[in-house]
Amino acid sequence: MTDPSSPADHIRCPVTGYTLPSDGTPLQPSPFFAERRQDGRVHPLRYADGHVGKLVTDHALARAVLSDQRFSQLPRRFPLGPADPAPPSVTADDLRALASGDLLILDGAKHDRIRKTIRSRFTVKAARGHRETIRAIAAEQVDILLAQPKPADLTEHVAEPISARVHAHVLGIPAERVQDYIQHYVHGSSAQATVDFVREIVGYRRTEPGDNVISDLVDSGLTDDEVVGLAAVLMSSGRDSVAYTIATTTVALLTHPEQRQRLTDNPSVAPAVIEEFMRYSTMFVALFPRTATEDLEIDGVRFQAGDSVSVSPVSANRDAERFPEPERFDLGRDAFGHLAFGFGPHGCAGQQLARVEITEAIGALFSRVPSLALVDAEQLRPLPFAHVVPTYRAGAVVVDW
Amino acid sequence: MTIEVTRSACVGAGQCVLVADDLFDQDDDGLVMLIEEDPREDRVDSARRAASLCPARAIQVRE
Repeated sequence: MTDPSSPADHIRCPVTGYTLPSDGTPLQPSPFFAERRQDGRVHPLRYADGHVGKLVTDHALARAVLSDQRFSQLPRRFPLGPADPAPPSVTADDLRALASGDLLILDGAKHDRIRKTIRSRFTVKAARGHRETIRAIAAEQVDILLAQPKPADLTEHVAEPISARVHAHVLGIPAERVQDYIQHYVHGSSAQATVDFVREIVGYRRTEPGDNVISDLVDSGLTDDEVVGLAAVLMSSGRDSVAYTIATTTVALLTHPEQRQRLTDNPSVAPAVIEEFMRYSTMFVALFPRTATEDLEIDGVRFQAGDSVSVSPVSANRDAERFPEPERFDLGRDAFGHLAFGFGPHGCAGQQLARVEITEAIGALFSRVPSLALVDAEQLRPLPFAHVVPTYRAGAVVVDW
Repeated sequence: MTIEVTRSACVGAGQCVLVADDLFDQDDDGLVMLIEEDPREDRVDSARRAASLCPARAIQVRE
């Protein structure tokens, strides 16, 4: 129990652990994180199942934990939602397949063996090879936005469709099935219908191979289960985060006219600028937790075997030790080293593709629509977390032009 | 000044190529390839930067 004579200790180390704050917005993280960065390196965090684990809020320790293989992706434990989230209601065969290829729950050699099969599709060069296609998709979606009655929702007409169409293109979902993909993954459908869709696309690429990720997978030596599981995780991962970042960066630019001017003055979005977009618009308030597999110490901080640890990229990316004046949105800064894509062996596999998508989407919007103006955005106000992993969804961004 | 890479540690994140594509590339498997192991003086800072950004500590810059 806490000592009532030392209230400061109670604040620093509540016995029951902190819960994640709900007063942040996508562009203004809760003051809770700046306070935690001041008062220590790890903070007790209460998980939905009652486990009191740890929250990491500073950049250096976040980076160290994420690249340390003594942490496991299991058990799957969340700081939000039900103590034991129900498995998706799909057949037993589907559950087994989904688990076998789910990079988010695999560790070490098994994770590396499966992830290796997609690496060549997501190199810097491979991602940049999609630039012309992405540019054309971005231009089409900006035209569609401009054809809407004013004002209109940029998330609906630009951010979501660009990310979904590019995702489908790179993975190998045939053009005539892209609307179904969007129905399953953007609008949402039953877990069974979604996994049926994955199986159908995998089956299609077995007989109609092309220059795409899923065609590679069926020819990679993975088991049939692993192919379906990996294809499923690739169809769901990253699409919403690219949409989120396009939407949130647009809001950041429309509310920081001096930074927007810098972009307008130099319309070819420089690589360094993308990093600041990512740093400032970071989606993950905390990542999927890691759990220590042994007693260990990093940089003087101790973790016990069984401790679940949540790393906060939102907080790490606002750490003044790493990014001076972190609350300032500054396209001139060196923001490389941000943790918006995570870090280490589980860092975002599609991050180079995401960089090209965001570059092209923001470039198309601000060069084609110089009169773009913000009417309102859900992201200007605290949003509920969108998932048991604390992230926000891309809220409506209503614009005029 | 020499650069060394440990390909067995590489996770294919591509950070090195982003900040120094004249020194590093990725092969067909996404793994780091060293283009220039003995960088010119004015590229040493970029080499160090790539080393510091690498999520797998797969790049070493030696005096």
